[in-house]
Amino acid sequence: MGQPSREGTARPLAQIARTFAGRLFEGLVVVWLLATLVFFAMRLLPGDPAALVLGDQATEADLAALRSRLGLDAPIHVQYAHFLRGLVTLDLGESLRRPGTTAAARVGLALGPTAALAGVAVVLGAMLGVGGAILGAGPWLGRRRAWVDRVATALAATPLLALAPVVTFVLVIRLRVIPLPGDPEAGAAGLLFASALLSLPLAAQVARIGRAALAEVAKAQYLTVAKAKGGSDGRVYWLHALPAASGPILTVVGTQLGALLGGAVVLERLFDRPGLGTLILDAYASRDLPVLQAAVIASGALFVLAQQVASASHAAIDPRARGAKGAA
Amino acid sequence: MSRWRLVPAAAVVGLSAIVALRSSAPSHLELESAWASPSAAHPLGCGEAGVDLLALVSHATLRGVALAAAVGVVGMLVGAPLGAGAALARGRLERAVARACDLVQSIPTFLLALSVLSAVRAPTRVHLAVVFMLTAWAPFARLALAEGRVLRAASFVEAARALGATRAAVLAKHVLPNTVGVVAVQLGATAAAVVVSEAALAFVGFGVQGGVSLGGVLDQGVASMLRAPHVLLVGAGAVFATSTSLMVAGRALDGHHARR
Repeated sequence: MGQPSREGTARPLAQIARTFAGRLFEGLVVVWLLATLVFFAMRLLPGDPAALVLGDQATEADLAALRSRLGLDAPIHVQYAHFLRGLVTLDLGESLRRPGTTAAARVGLALGPTAALAGVAVVLGAMLGVGGAILGAGPWLGRRRAWVDRVATALAATPLLALAPVVTFVLVIRLRVIPLPGDPEAGAAGLLFASALLSLPLAAQVARIGRAALAEVAKAQYLTVAKAKGGSDGRVYWLHALPAASGPILTVVGTQLGALLGGAVVLERLFDRPGLGTLILDAYASRDLPVLQAAVIASGALFVLAQQVASASHAAIDPRARGAKGAA
Repeated sequence: MSRWRLVPAAAVVGLSAIVALRSSAPSHLELESAWASPSAAHPLGCGEAGVDLLALVSHATLRGVALAAAVGVVGMLVGAPLGAGAALARGRLERAVARACDLVQSIPTFLLALSVLSAVRAPTRVHLAVVFMLTAWAPFARLALAEGRVLRAASFVEAARALGATRAAVLAKHVLPNTVGVVAVQLGATAAAVVVSEAALAFVGFGVQGGVSLGGVLDQGVASMLRAPHVLLVGAGAVFATSTSLMVAGRALDGHHARR
């Protein structure tokens, strides 16, 4: 969503700086809220975290030792202050299961693969979706273009959880064109395949919304002018119509980011890929609380960052979303 | 007119109920038929340790749908009056509810569920339901708010007001019944999303401990993709059939509100 500006004559640079600062602040507040939620959930929900880590057979001495190691014996406000300090300095404690490794280090290692998976998926999904939207709105396919919408709607209604295993089965086992899940030599092909799968729901949504937005834009006068000037259909749709339809498209990308990260967790599990999702699941299964806490906060921060980038690029592409001039 | 849209969901739930009633608990094991392909005795084949997949999928579907229905109905009962009431009240309350909806809807449900469940030692169905309800009310409130904004200007609402009806009476008698169309569509969408989320959580290992879930079937299927691919196909098919049939069913009540 654009930031409405109250001063119509704001200088562009100052305004961009203010918008950026506003976005950054908003993002930080959301990350702080999430971190606080995670902090209190882990401490206030019934069940002693130390007992959770050590199991039912632990002695009272062991439990007490672990509590003091995790800082759980301090009053809750002291713990929270310590936690906030750790959050700012990226020091969220040491991994319980891999002594000597900090939680932040393990999260840092896992962040790369997940960011790559999600990032490639967003780019692929946006490209596929925009291509589909333009095919569905433009004149090239004639009557058959209604099929673009039908296919996109069917794809959008298919849960990734059902689609991904079946596609994997067909391509990996039947056709053998893709390396097996968990194959360490999968490399770039594995990343591309997983991202392509992850991008399908996004592409379907972008194609649906984008087609509708383009159809709306196509009624505008400036498109008639562009056509009258002798622009080709491709030029008219890519250069004139698409930027005007970018608002709804970027909004869809923004709203799908959460689902995309959720899908990334499922696909990491399906393909046995390292990443934030795998780290969260490992840390949960092995009760590695500092790592679990850090990984959950990192995935939230990744989501917030991605969403802010989506809304910032909306403002960069569509002048109306920048406020000031577009408010008129 | 569009009652046929209820047919797929009724078929999925009805068939599951019949099978679940006729079969013993899905933990009934026959080790000698582990990973067996579909046969007359086991129409969908067998999974890990010889569990009959038809029975397992039926029980899992029923539980998933029950959870989804509970979450959807509570979300609707909380969200719809909240949104419609805020639209009637206008002013600060209206803006606050709209803002809260924006905020909650920007939270990714699956990640939220992961964060909250990671603090729970052994998640139960109640935990799952509570986590999903945290965000489930928001789309209902937003839709009811949008409908309420249109309806508050309608002449029959004005007439009811002029006749001295209280705001609560106007809300209950005149506004809420007219939001049923859009809200029902959302009910289907929410239920479908909950079925998928629950299965996804169970698939990645965050499900109910030792519970029966469609995600568990998928998990077995992925592990045995090479020797027994039917398990994977059955799991994926069940997730697809359950979620899409619920989504379609939500549109059964959708008369003139149909999306175009």
